[in-house]
Amino acid sequence: MDLELNFEISRTAEFILSRNFTRVALQFPDDLLKHSTKVVTCLRNKLGLGNKVGLFVMADTTFGSCCVDEVGASHIGADCVIHYGHTCLSSTSTLPAFCVFGKASINISCCVEKLSSYFGTNGKPIVVLYGLGYAHAILQIKGALVEAMPKTKLELIFSDVMCSIINPLEDHRKSDGLQECLGTYSSGNSLGAATGTRYSLGGLTWDLPEGQRMEDYLLLWIGPENSAFSNVVLTFNGCEIVRYDATEDQLVTDVSQQKRILKRRYYLVERAKDANMVGILVGTLGVAGYLHMIHQMKELIRLAGKKAYTLVMGRPNPAKLANFPECDVFIYVSCAQTALLDSKEFLAPVITPFEAMLAFSSGSQWTGAYILEFRDLINSSQLEVRKRPEEARFSFLKGGYVEDFEPRENGDEDHEGTLALANATEKALQLRDRDPDSLVKGTAKSGAEFFVTRSYHGLEMHANSSSPEPYLIGRSGKASGYKGEKSEAEAL
Amino acid sequence: MMERLWGENFFDPAIKNWTTKNTRSATCKRGFVQFCYEPIKQIINTCMNDQKDKLWPMLNKLQVTMKSDEKDLMGKPLMKRVMQTWLPASRALLEMMIFHLPSPSKAQKYRVENLYEGPLDDMYANAIRNCDPEGPLMLYVSKMIPASDKGRFFAFGRVFSGKVSTGLKVRIMGPNYVPGEKKDLCVKSVQRTVIWMGKKQETVEDVPCGNTVAMVGLDQFITKNATLTNEKEVDAHPIRAMKFSVSPVVRVAVQCRVASDLPKLVEGLKRLSKSDPMVVCCIEESGELIVAGAGELHLEICLKDLQEDFMGGAEIIRSDPVASFRETVLERSCRTVMSKSPNKHNRLYMEARPLEEGLAEAIDDGRIGPRDDPKNRSKILAEEYGWDKDLAKKIWCFGPETTGPNMVVDMCKGVQYLNEIKDSVVAGFQWASKEGALAEENMRGICFEVCDVVLHADAIHRGGGQIIPTARRVFYASQLTAKPRLLEPVYLVEIQAPEQALGGIYSVLNQKRGHVFEEMQRPGTPLYNIKAFLPVIESFGFSSTLRAAISGQAFPQCVFDHWDMMSSDPLEPGSQAAAHVADIRCRKGLREQITPLSEYEDRL
Repeated sequence: MDLELNFEISRTAEFILSRNFTRVALQFPDDLLKHSTKVVTCLRNKLGLGNKVGLFVMADTTFGSCCVDEVGASHIGADCVIHYGHTCLSSTSTLPAFCVFGKASINISCCVEKLSSYFGTNGKPIVVLYGLGYAHAILQIKGALVEAMPKTKLELIFSDVMCSIINPLEDHRKSDGLQECLGTYSSGNSLGAATGTRYSLGGLTWDLPEGQRMEDYLLLWIGPENSAFSNVVLTFNGCEIVRYDATEDQLVTDVSQQKRILKRRYYLVERAKDANMVGILVGTLGVAGYLHMIHQMKELIRLAGKKAYTLVMGRPNPAKLANFPECDVFIYVSCAQTALLDSKEFLAPVITPFEAMLAFSSGSQWTGAYILEFRDLINSSQLEVRKRPEEARFSFLKGGYVEDFEPRENGDEDHEGTLALANATEKALQLRDRDPDSLVKGTAKSGAEFFVTRSYHGLEMHANSSSPEPYLIGRSGKASGYKGEKSEAEAL
Repeated sequence: MMERLWGENFFDPAIKNWTTKNTRSATCKRGFVQFCYEPIKQIINTCMNDQKDKLWPMLNKLQVTMKSDEKDLMGKPLMKRVMQTWLPASRALLEMMIFHLPSPSKAQKYRVENLYEGPLDDMYANAIRNCDPEGPLMLYVSKMIPASDKGRFFAFGRVFSGKVSTGLKVRIMGPNYVPGEKKDLCVKSVQRTVIWMGKKQETVEDVPCGNTVAMVGLDQFITKNATLTNEKEVDAHPIRAMKFSVSPVVRVAVQCRVASDLPKLVEGLKRLSKSDPMVVCCIEESGELIVAGAGELHLEICLKDLQEDFMGGAEIIRSDPVASFRETVLERSCRTVMSKSPNKHNRLYMEARPLEEGLAEAIDDGRIGPRDDPKNRSKILAEEYGWDKDLAKKIWCFGPETTGPNMVVDMCKGVQYLNEIKDSVVAGFQWASKEGALAEENMRGICFEVCDVVLHADAIHRGGGQIIPTARRVFYASQLTAKPRLLEPVYLVEIQAPEQALGGIYSVLNQKRGHVFEEMQRPGTPLYNIKAFLPVIESFGFSSTLRAAISGQAFPQCVFDHWDMMSSDPLEPGSQAAAHVADIRCRKGLREQITPLSEYEDRL
């Protein structure tokens, strides 16, 4: 593999030198980590031996490896990050970043042949999207495709990579020209005053002529079936989508598995509606606007009369989340491409902020549109304080109407946070006295209440027996089989 | 005369004499035939044959007068019209009701103890007992009737005491209302009181006790049923909610043909659920919207209502009807299974065994449940089901939904910190018992015994995060080692048919895996009553097959009766149960193969 070309060493060096960075963090995903030393050597040679630029390799990022790890970089006081491998191109909040996508191999002639034969049968205009690793080959494919089908008047729109340099946004709510999404723009470029709609998703942007909707187009995705692809499928769930798999050189037209995800997400939204306690999982510390999003979520949950807890735990896994059994649902605030966490292993469902908005703002309904990125979400829906409908809410999980808990009229809970536990304990104690040995626990509305209804409350004091417990010899050995146990198992 | 019309009484018009035996003379006929059947038959025949010259004198004799435009009718419409004027069904029906159904003022005297939930000597009970129009209002809303304007419902019910009038402020106590609390309670005013008469309705000022009434303006606050009283009557208890003896076992998945109709479908399902207290609309794990009803026909009607009335004709796609299954075990686990926590520092040992026969039903009926007094519970368990007294005290929980017919029992001896992980194991159990290992259907009739537990000495390493997933795995492992089986729902079918149709009925039942357990002739008739068990999955299309086989001489009535174990092993490829499991898993979008035991069980 040509290291120089694949890791774009010269472009990287140019970027560093042009901006006079002195401490540079190189962020590698796990699968590219093995090349890191070679990359550093190459880069150092390129930068010149006399140059005193500090290069640092970062690995094992706290959150998804597609995002720029700003916190990790700030540990070493870096002033820019070079990100290698697949990325979601989410905007950063403090540090500039340079992304190296790498160059995935693709058989262009084979690809063009397959595509042109497919397009011949399908009359729809086409939008071409691709995995960032294939960005290097897109121009060639485009040329070859146009050449292969000169007679057909098919409309082909190729998306462009937004920019491989990410500059931190001063104010994430004021979107500049590049970040603008789903808004109409009028460009004064060489083609003249073409007006249309600009779309952007996962680092790709493309324009549609005015009056056209995405539903009118056939979407072609070149690349593997990864999170970026499911992102596309979910966002444009009304479109017909085909995928070209470059590693196996074939066209995949069946995306029913991906469509299934959408239904499943709908179920999760319904489930979230029944939740009383919500955990907000911080899934990123870099993507611009994440703090705003968390605040917005908290406000949303409070207005819905539910209780929110914010949890920071790195990458969530079933064992970590099960430590908070009181939460009925988790909202994962993260970059768009790691946002979809769905596994049956989780005790409580994990949903995205968009889904939370659907579930918790009363009166809103699932229309099929799907938004994964923050900035779209922040722009699209400002919090509206709606009047709660007086009708009971229908729960599809229980198959009937249920009564929601009234949102607390006066925020007494918040004002005397320290006393909340004591208050709840007092209330719950009264309840328990009525039915001390019941096996049924009522539904808890806050963490404090949940702990009260647990059967275990911590160490029990035996006040009456003051004599010390007899001395016992504990177990020894490894957890997988303590001493004594092993021999027993072998004897059997 | 009346008593002679029925039974062994004969009349011979030639000699004008009644006998109790057939005299075998040509003119001797049974009393009923002579005086009821023959005249009706004669009139019908003359109508159908358009012998109007004969008909008019006959009608004159019967003092039936027809309008002039009706006299032009021919054939069947003529017959219908004549019969409607001569012997109207409404009058006969009403007469029967008056004769046989007691009036509210009489009936409420003895009904009050079944109706009222509160103390039977308070003023509300007395008012109901006396059907007192001057007493406090007690009104039970039993049904929501869709109104002609979109999205609104009439609240339909009976006034047991007092009276309800237009504009009255009423206190609405919902099904979850507990006296003295504010839950499920609101005060609203009745916009309009309406009397329903057939398909007509009449707005009236007020409706006193003893009558049924439909009210406008309350539909948003009543979900299915409710008790209404005057605004000030804060001490009143609600009237007992009606129970239905059928359970929704047949389900179809619905989706809209146009994706953007989804909000319409959701709204429609909500309203369907409101209008029919029997139907359940819910959502599957995979995101499919499900409508569940008591049977094929019931669902058919529900879906028709859904599409035409509640969704404004938007098209829906429905799947084939499917029955829900349950998962159970046949024997005790062949060995004690063990699972380790993700950090390998904790181990749970468990066994599964079937619950004693009848125990699952007792839990269903609420005879045994989590809310019982533990002493009572252990007494019943010990006396009726042969449990050890001490063991009965060690039930940790019921599940799924904390009340279901499965349980966890603690069999450990001297395990440290066991009380600490109890909540985590219970949480894991609620989860696992809701989605069994075979096809993620509910479990039923399984008792899990916690045999031993090894825990890490530090509390931080045995938190919920370590125990809950582990508990779930060990529940699945013990289920899989205890000869898991599927339970299928079974209908009790009642068919009434003449003798010559019996052969056809038997053959259709046999073909559908049903079996007859009772066959009885109805005394005094040539009809037979047949009772049979029929698996619900086989019942789809059963009525039409049956009608075809015996040319419509019988109509079956199906009611859900019990769960029946399928004898074949779902773990054995190719068996019938395995086919069902594969079917369900495919529908739910799960992997086709059952997750193997090795995924759940760990070794030392």
